[in-house]
Amino acid sequence: MIEFLLKVFDENKNDDAIIWRDQPFAYSWLTERISAWQIALDKEQVQAGSVVILEADFSPNAIALFLALIERNCVIVPLTKSIAAKKADFMEIAEGEVRIAIDDEDAAAFEKLPRQATHPLYAILRGRRHPGLILFSSGSTGKSKAALHDLTGILEKFKVCRNRQRAITFLLYDHIGGVNTMLYTLSNGGCIITVQERTPEKVLEAAQKYHATLLPTSPKQTYGLSEVGILRSKSKSSDSLWVKIGGEGFETRIVDGILHIKAQSAMLGYLNAPSPFSEDGWFITGDEVQVDGDYYRILGRRSELINVGGEKVYPAEVESTLLLMEGVDDVVVTGETNQLSGQIVVAKINLSTAENLMQFRQRMRQFCKDKLAKYKIPQKVILLDQPAYSQRFKKMRL
Amino acid sequence: MEQKILDLIFQIANEFNEQLENKIAIHQGREAHLYGRNGVLDSLGLVSFVMAVEQSVESEFSVAVTLADEKALSQQNSPFQTIGSLADYIKKLIEEASRTSG
Repeated sequence: MIEFLLKVFDENKNDDAIIWRDQPFAYSWLTERISAWQIALDKEQVQAGSVVILEADFSPNAIALFLALIERNCVIVPLTKSIAAKKADFMEIAEGEVRIAIDDEDAAAFEKLPRQATHPLYAILRGRRHPGLILFSSGSTGKSKAALHDLTGILEKFKVCRNRQRAITFLLYDHIGGVNTMLYTLSNGGCIITVQERTPEKVLEAAQKYHATLLPTSPKQTYGLSEVGILRSKSKSSDSLWVKIGGEGFETRIVDGILHIKAQSAMLGYLNAPSPFSEDGWFITGDEVQVDGDYYRILGRRSELINVGGEKVYPAEVESTLLLMEGVDDVVVTGETNQLSGQIVVAKINLSTAENLMQFRQRMRQFCKDKLAKYKIPQKVILLDQPAYSQRFKKMRL
Repeated sequence: MEQKILDLIFQIANEFNEQLENKIAIHQGREAHLYGRNGVLDSLGLVSFVMAVEQSVESEFSVAVTLADEKALSQQNSPFQTIGSLADYIKKLIEEASRTSG
């Protein structure tokens, strides 16, 4: 399963695979460490097909163990501290059978859990003798959904050689973006630069010190879905909301105004929700899009629609427009009930300029005048002191 | 308090005048028309205006008032007609709020 990775590791054995707490770990170390984990997993009787809760963040052992579990055809459920409040729930939903926690010192603790994973989707995966990965969608509204992926499908696209990068793991270990960064970097003999704190200062410091060449930060530039992976996206121009999405392994189509995606790395389904696939196997994103030739304009979810006096407003469109304004670092747009117009458009904004609310509103209206229909221009603006993104880089709409 | 409320509405009228073709006649003071007969705001403009006033009232007087509710809409004389009528209405709401909170 990971032979192609081990081959890359062998070719680069003297190079650094991981930087963790200012310490380099070479590819030869990583290869040895994976073997050592296999012995430990044997000893703990972690069988193929076992559902393993992996509480960790990017660290040498967390990376080695992740790969060892793939080699063993286990189902990996990575969980980071960012979901602490939901941990018990997630372990239950995933039907975790073994728990391995890797602490801040990179030391591991095993625990056998009194549970048997019997979900029908697990049976399918075990039948294929493939490793699996559970990723929880953070869901801006509603309940987190547990998506089961066949890791064989995810690994497939990393078999193609690409540029070697020194990448900062800004995204989380239990986030599709984080997993993607890790596998991409390792499959090309690059270097994973880990950070203990994901503050802008620390990330920049690490980027400079270790000559990072790649800082993947999710929300703006890519169209990422934990269900199908990260799609490459290319804007028409820097201030355009029209994007081309797709790339190798992805196909897109529009059905009834809704974006469908067919991906090589498609997941098997949700453990705790109905299948999001169409009968012919396309993933139904739920995002409404407009089409102009090869370009799409992603409007957002129908369920998030705001109704202003009978006119429809998609939060995503307003958000993308406001993000083009100087000084707007973050923005979340929601609807609010209002007696005069049914609902109003409310924008919560993180502003890095020194403007007060009135000055900002004035500039916003001027800016939006020729970009948004009048009813789409936020009728209410709230300036926030705190980032509008949750720890998991998903907009908080509630 | 009344002057404070008026000042706050004038400030917001100023803000809105930047983008309005027919401007709010601030020089007319309390008599300046906002919405309805002789008004310069359309219904969307009124919504934004009222939201801005609500926010300013809240930060100035530390009391949350809802200007656009059924009560306002059912008043025989709309409180949104002029700057003066709006100011009176806000004053009334603030007084009511402070009475109920003790």
